[in-house]
Amino acid sequence: MDLVTQSVVIGLTQNAPLVLAAIGFYLLYRLTGLINVAYAETVTLGAYFGMWANTTFDLDFFTVLLPAGAMAGLVSVATYLLVFRPAKQRNVGMLEVIIISFGLSIFLRHALQFVFGYPVRFFDVPPPDTIQVLGIGVSSFRLLALASVGVLALLLYWFIQRSRLGLQIRALASDESLAQASGIRPLAVTVLIWFLAGLAGGLAGAFYGVGSSVAPLLGWRLFLPILLVVLVGRAWGLGGVITVGVATGVLLAGATLQFGQVLYAQLLIILIFLAILKMRARRLAAVEGVAV
Amino acid sequence: MNLAWLDAFLIFGLFEVMMFIGLALLLHLQLGLARIANFGVVGFWGLGMYAFGVSYVRVDWPFGDPWQFLVCALIATLVAGLAGLVVGWYIADLDIDGALVGTLGFATAVAILATTEQELTGGALGMGGLGFPYDIGTVKENELVWLLVTTGVVGAILFFVWQVHRSPFGRLLIAVGANEPLARSLGKRTFRAKIGLFVVASAAMGLLGALFGVMVRFLDIGNLGVEITLAAMVGLVLGGTARVWGAVVGIVLTVGLFDIVVQSYLPLPREWYTQALPVLREAAFGLALMVVLLFRPLGVLGEMRRDRLMKKLHGR
Amino acid sequence: MAAEVVAGAAVARPQIRVERVAKSYSGRTVVDVDELVLGDQPIEGLIGPNGAGKTTLMRMIVHAVPLDRGTITLRSPTQPELLLSSMPTEQIARHGVVKSNQLITDFERLTILDSLLFAVTESAYEAPHQLFSERTVFERHRDEIERLLDYFGLTDRTAFAMSAGEKKLLDIIRCLILRPRFLLLDEPTAGLPDDVTEKVMDALRELAAAGSTVVIVAHDLNVIWKLCDEVVFMAEGKALLRGDPQSIREHRTIVEKYLGEGHV
Repeated sequence: MDLVTQSVVIGLTQNAPLVLAAIGFYLLYRLTGLINVAYAETVTLGAYFGMWANTTFDLDFFTVLLPAGAMAGLVSVATYLLVFRPAKQRNVGMLEVIIISFGLSIFLRHALQFVFGYPVRFFDVPPPDTIQVLGIGVSSFRLLALASVGVLALLLYWFIQRSRLGLQIRALASDESLAQASGIRPLAVTVLIWFLAGLAGGLAGAFYGVGSSVAPLLGWRLFLPILLVVLVGRAWGLGGVITVGVATGVLLAGATLQFGQVLYAQLLIILIFLAILKMRARRLAAVEGVAV
Repeated sequence: MNLAWLDAFLIFGLFEVMMFIGLALLLHLQLGLARIANFGVVGFWGLGMYAFGVSYVRVDWPFGDPWQFLVCALIATLVAGLAGLVVGWYIADLDIDGALVGTLGFATAVAILATTEQELTGGALGMGGLGFPYDIGTVKENELVWLLVTTGVVGAILFFVWQVHRSPFGRLLIAVGANEPLARSLGKRTFRAKIGLFVVASAAMGLLGALFGVMVRFLDIGNLGVEITLAAMVGLVLGGTARVWGAVVGIVLTVGLFDIVVQSYLPLPREWYTQALPVLREAAFGLALMVVLLFRPLGVLGEMRRDRLMKKLHGR
Repeated sequence: MAAEVVAGAAVARPQIRVERVAKSYSGRTVVDVDELVLGDQPIEGLIGPNGAGKTTLMRMIVHAVPLDRGTITLRSPTQPELLLSSMPTEQIARHGVVKSNQLITDFERLTILDSLLFAVTESAYEAPHQLFSERTVFERHRDEIERLLDYFGLTDRTAFAMSAGEKKLLDIIRCLILRPRFLLLDEPTAGLPDDVTEKVMDALRELAAAGSTVVIVAHDLNVIWKLCDEVVFMAEGKALLRGDPQSIREHRTIVEKYLGEGHV
């Protein structure tokens, strides 16, 4: 079986959660215009909440999945109300807010260890069945993850692009004062977006965690890929982010197979995406200019 | 606690304080003056450390120390400076997002390569073979001398930064940070300025990395995490991003507090030191970063007082 | 129409030639100039109603705004023709074409003295290794800085420019101290007290007398009539008329377009 088939199957099943996390990050980025480094920790916390519910109450993975995501969503809302909203009210500049989000990320990543402990943790789930897809053995868990991610991604896509509430969200993202004048309640809608973003991240984290391990660095390791996918994909909106996310998953799998080393694949992705961003910036500078 | 144990930690603690003061001073030029978000400090520092280590251990030099050290330290500085040239060029015409992803991507790439190229670097297992370029007696005595060497280097960095504030280059950096389009409209080559800044700052960060490598006499990829960048950043922000001495004050209050006072002088349960304390340190640093930027963004020392400086330099 | 606007006699002072230049935003044409030469006369004015495209055209000349099409060139007696529309803003400024800012803008952390020193410092001194050249730079430019600051009454040079008026004035002084060959000013006297406005006008006359070309965009037509040797009238993105201030004031089309503004 050829490299392409393998890349697609493995890429989609292993890296599907990346797409979900990218959607959540994109929601925040689109609304606030800011890179929220602490988003990585909603991913981590989704994994931890899921693992904790799973091991403490002896519930199976799909029962804890949505609660885990919801709790991550609540943490996300809390960070908005306690950190980012006050920052905006104090007119903190963009650069400073990014650094604040960096500090928040570090804080959450380490504070959670005082709650959940220092050692690496694991979900307590039965070993999954192996299903043959196009000749490649894939764990049933990963297939279910892919299906769930697909459904959730489509739901979020439909919600943002088509529903009335989604329209309000997009209006708010474009022009807050205008949106407010049209009767949209900024605080309610903003809280909803932060919750959805945290939910998406938390769900992604739970999927990642059940497939490997639950460790404090889980989310941070994903932050750069998420950021790259969103920065590259945002040129084509939410659909673009999803597409680039899927392509990245496949590319990562293919490169890992080709190089025999996942780190080389990651390095390749980083370099390719950085190159794309630079070329795009140059093209944009030629078109837009710098207004004085 | 017996005194001998105390001394070792104190020397290393002071060394760390010195090294981070150096990193924070360089970050002050980038973040405080030119307002460039360098989230990849550990990348330049780590690249210097590894370039030093690899050239020191893997190359068969026809001469020994101290020349071997000096040549390898020079290599480390040049390699890091070259990386600064590339990264500086990359981010020169990009916005904040671009600077963030460019510097972070660079640091990640360094960590990846240090892990994968294990014939060179020792990879995840690490690499020993580094040592002090002299031997005057006990390990502690050697370390003390190295602390003095590092203090000298950081002193030079402090003098450089102090003098930058009093030079046309410093004024250009401040202008770039304050209003880059306006600076360009006056004919200033702002991209070149940013690249130049990155070359110099990165080279110095690389040298500090090499000094660290010698101090610990071991290359460890565990050092290439974001904690280095965080410590430099929180020290600078807490002390005051806009002031020369902000880096010094802030690092003493953060790294100094944890790596010296808490580490050596607080009577804490022994088992805290392995896990609880490092985790607490990072959590406290993250919290400090948030709190300072929310409530007193210019840190302990506050705003740059350019009027006082200009009066001193050119007053009637 | 073309003949009314192009003019352009023997090239004795720097001239800027705008050819087939256009700019649209979201389908709306903001600038559409077929051919315009600036620099025939020492001081020229650019007037027109709001939205005529005057500011955008000025920004396009220094390439702060990219062109949809067309070329802008700089011709001077001493040098070959330069294609400004292919250069970045800082390169255009280094070739001596400088524009002031319509909006209040400043270097927040720099003092007045800093600002002026910054403008005149040669780039050779602005390098990381030139750590000890501050004194040299100051001494080189001390006289001209002091002259300008004294002339405009900015006595505390180590202070910051605080009010909007001070910042505006500082912006103009920064441009003046560069002694550009071609100075573009966008609303230079808006918001300034009358006595300061007089001083700005005198300084511009002096600059023009020294061989530079000055182009002013202004809504304050008193300044235009008093200062300019020639006036170009723009409306709806096009350069429609040019002539000496007297004939422009009396032109039928101008009176019609300015109906309701009561400036004539």
